[in-house]
Amino acid sequence: MPMYQNGEVDPAVKALEARQDEIMRKLYELKAAVEGLAKTVTTPDADLDLTVSSSLSSQSLSSTTFKGAVTDLDTLLGKDLGALRDIVINANPAQPPLSLMVLHSLLCQRYRVLSTVHVHSSVTGVLPQLLSCLGPRHADSYARHMFQLGFTLIWKDVPKLQMKFSVQNMCPIEGEANVARFLFKLLAPYPSDPALATLVDSWVDTAFFQLAEGSAKERSAVLRALNSALGRNPWLAGPDLSLADIACYCCVLQSGSASSAPTNVQRWIKSCENLGHFSPAKLLLQ
Amino acid sequence: MALNLTINTSNPPLGALLAAEHVKSSVQVSVEEGKDTRLQVSDAIQFNDTNSISRYLARVAPALGLYGANMMEQTEVDHWLEFSARRLCGQPGLAVALGELDKALSLRTFLVGHAITLADLSVWAALKGHGEWPSQGKSFSHVSRWFYFLSSQVPF
Repeated sequence: MPMYQNGEVDPAVKALEARQDEIMRKLYELKAAVEGLAKTVTTPDADLDLTVSSSLSSQSLSSTTFKGAVTDLDTLLGKDLGALRDIVINANPAQPPLSLMVLHSLLCQRYRVLSTVHVHSSVTGVLPQLLSCLGPRHADSYARHMFQLGFTLIWKDVPKLQMKFSVQNMCPIEGEANVARFLFKLLAPYPSDPALATLVDSWVDTAFFQLAEGSAKERSAVLRALNSALGRNPWLAGPDLSLADIACYCCVLQSGSASSAPTNVQRWIKSCENLGHFSPAKLLLQ
Repeated sequence: MALNLTINTSNPPLGALLAAEHVKSSVQVSVEEGKDTRLQVSDAIQFNDTNSISRYLARVAPALGLYGANMMEQTEVDHWLEFSARRLCGQPGLAVALGELDKALSLRTFLVGHAITLADLSVWAALKGHGEWPSQGKSFSHVSRWFYFLSSQVPF
């Protein structure tokens, strides 16, 4: 059949063209809609439903405690693949990880964190304060894409605290000290000076291995070392609060040696408590 | 800047010595024999344990990437530093720890990332110093492969 008759376009072809235009228009609309959706999933900051994000932003006031803070999770953790970055922690209810509770509450001030607590079948009779230790269930918890980080705590019969994150690339991380280092790096960079950074790590090791697990003799040696370090500086690693302070504070508290601590340590415990970040740790101890 | 590392000759900190050997092209480290292991950094700061010394050496030579290439690798390195100090050094239950190590190495050439890090140095040093390791080697094929691969490298 000839397409043109006497210079006129066949009405059937015209109809076909109109249909094609209509289909293309619908496809464009669909594409735009999908791109919009993809944006809300991959960049949690952008294009959120304003009614929901306003209720979230009231909680995500930026923390002023740490200087030179990084907030871009993509820079820290690599490209966001669209799924919620979920930090899964297996902890034994016999040894609640106080330092991680403090870091969790700091993370909640910085990021939109979806926190959940579970009890693994290997343990029974978990105390109610351990079940509610991450605060009440978030009202928007069904919408995972609205959160930047997931924090999933599982009470489980494990010999050592364990973190699973990005399981394709990372081995499971063992030890509260190492998990604390990881969480802290999401809040603030380590000091750029190698000596200060290593000093922080060294205090963290001392806190978890000598204060928390050591003998009475080791503990009093650490308290003396803390006392002399705190005579030189307001915080353990110099003029700013660092992970060293969080780790040592929590371990002093856990070992029950806070009341018998020497003067400088007592003063420093007060300063820690004045900051208000440490109440989640105290709650767990009750 | 020359660093001075004093080592306890009766219990030499193998991991720290390996780290020192790796960074010697970028930082000058002189090693002295003495009673206690110590790295004096400044008047106020000194490090006495192998892990802190290794961490410091890795940080003063960042170009070598001994502490991993990103935050997640750093965390894995931290994990293995603690693993070597707490699970491998003179602790009971070596077989369990070796089982975990074997599993971790089953799909890897190096413990963390695709290059040598403090994780390899400290775990290798802990095994090297462990009396029971050579006899256990046969049952953990991945650990053996990795251990002898590293042993054949120049700095080891």
